[in-house]
Amino acid sequence: MAATLCGKLLPQKGWLPVTQSVRHGSKAVTRHKKPIHILKKKLVAVTQYIPPKPTPPPGAYPCQTAVVQEQESPLMRLLKRDVEEVFRDCKMVGVAQNNSSRSDDMMMLRNRFHKHGIKVKFFPNQVMRSFLSESIYGNMTPLFIGPTVLFVSKEPKVKEMLATLRVSPQMVLLGACVDNTLLSAQGVASYARLPSVAVVQGELVGGLSAPASHTGSLLQRHPARLTALLQQYVAQRAKAEEAT
Amino acid sequence: MIALVKAAVVSVAAVSAHGHQHGLRHTHLKVLTAGLKTLEIPPDYSDVVLPEKPKLKFMNKVPNLKKVKKEMKRLRDIQGPARAANTFTSGQYAIVAMGGGYIHWGHLEMMRLTINRKMDSRTTFARWRINAPYKPITRKGLGQRMGGGKGAIDRYVTPIRFGRLIVEVGGKVELGEVEHILIEVAKKLPFPAKVMSRASLEAFQQRQADMEENNQNPWTYKRIAQGNMLGIRKVLSPFDLIHHGRFTGKFHIPGRV
Repeated sequence: MAATLCGKLLPQKGWLPVTQSVRHGSKAVTRHKKPIHILKKKLVAVTQYIPPKPTPPPGAYPCQTAVVQEQESPLMRLLKRDVEEVFRDCKMVGVAQNNSSRSDDMMMLRNRFHKHGIKVKFFPNQVMRSFLSESIYGNMTPLFIGPTVLFVSKEPKVKEMLATLRVSPQMVLLGACVDNTLLSAQGVASYARLPSVAVVQGELVGGLSAPASHTGSLLQRHPARLTALLQQYVAQRAKAEEAT
Repeated sequence: MIALVKAAVVSVAAVSAHGHQHGLRHTHLKVLTAGLKTLEIPPDYSDVVLPEKPKLKFMNKVPNLKKVKKEMKRLRDIQGPARAANTFTSGQYAIVAMGGGYIHWGHLEMMRLTINRKMDSRTTFARWRINAPYKPITRKGLGQRMGGGKGAIDRYVTPIRFGRLIVEVGGKVELGEVEHILIEVAKKLPFPAKVMSRASLEAFQQRQADMEENNQNPWTYKRIAQGNMLGIRKVLSPFDLIHHGRFTGKFHIPGRV
């Protein structure tokens, strides 16, 4: 190093440094971590990485855009088709909560329902919710939380269903859709208490034909009764006219 | 005779009675629970080609040279990041060096024997990503005084830098199946090492690039060192200008940008 320095032509106004520090001590690459000069430590402290401001956590604010539909697996599509078929064919669809029923309880329930033609269906809640959100039965979505069972039948056999469910304590009826009408649990109970269609029709017919039958019965009686009634009616009319 | 007929009639009646319930028979013992299980599709290995010799090949202790020459220490072959062999070629998972160091034949034998013994050669293959030892390391005898020339060649080593791949493993396997083998080997290496997959190595390299990009600190080591602000180069080494404070000697300092 001294040779190279002397070899260079020194400028007139140049100068040689008075002291030359020869680096000694450990090399650049050592097995241990070399002690760091305090100024270098300060440099390292000053030039630390500062990350960008953290964004709010994902659930903090409601998302502006619409919820993206999750990828539907083929199994889900298959089950959705089954659900669609059920809702199309059956007039009554009852939703009940199934609280830890054992296989023998389920067997008895199915047997009792089968006598009335009611079927027991199981569908995953995920599938039900995605089907209901796209169909007209959207208001049934809150019913499908937790372990649920569907009781479906082609004819609305509400009375029989309620009777069977009263026997099995594990099943709690949440609601039903009977003839495209959503009913709550109380609604189902009151629906069951309604008289049958034939009885209602009979009552209606009776009510409509009541005046005609009354007139008929009046004429069929003895004519003296009719004249007495008419005289009484005339007297009443005259009294009313005198009063006014 | 009459009893037999009676029994037959009863059985026929029973069969006919249960006939209408045949639809229930399949489901009466099952209690379905709520929830739809979506299963993950297992990975498709149809495009993976296994080589003929799947195991790690033997590496020589000493290179095949006619004339052996003693070499200078040149410790700079340990320093800084690796520029070569820091990406995947054929395998899926690899051991990546997280520091600098020298690997000698003992380490290589340990790796070869462990990996060859523990891996399934029908479904996995392994490849070396480092050379056989070629750098001679000299050592003087025990108790010798200074002077008397350079020592004799003691052993040969392979220098390894930070970020270099050591061994690559691939085949019809997932990371979980080979991870325990590679971790066992990685712990015994003379420098810190990690097991990474293609995705995780890319993520690792990307993280460093992201850190450099979105650093909110206006003062960076590179800026201060290159500008010699406050005469800081008095306490810095010339290598700090190149490595920007991420490496000191053979060590890598994580978290520096």
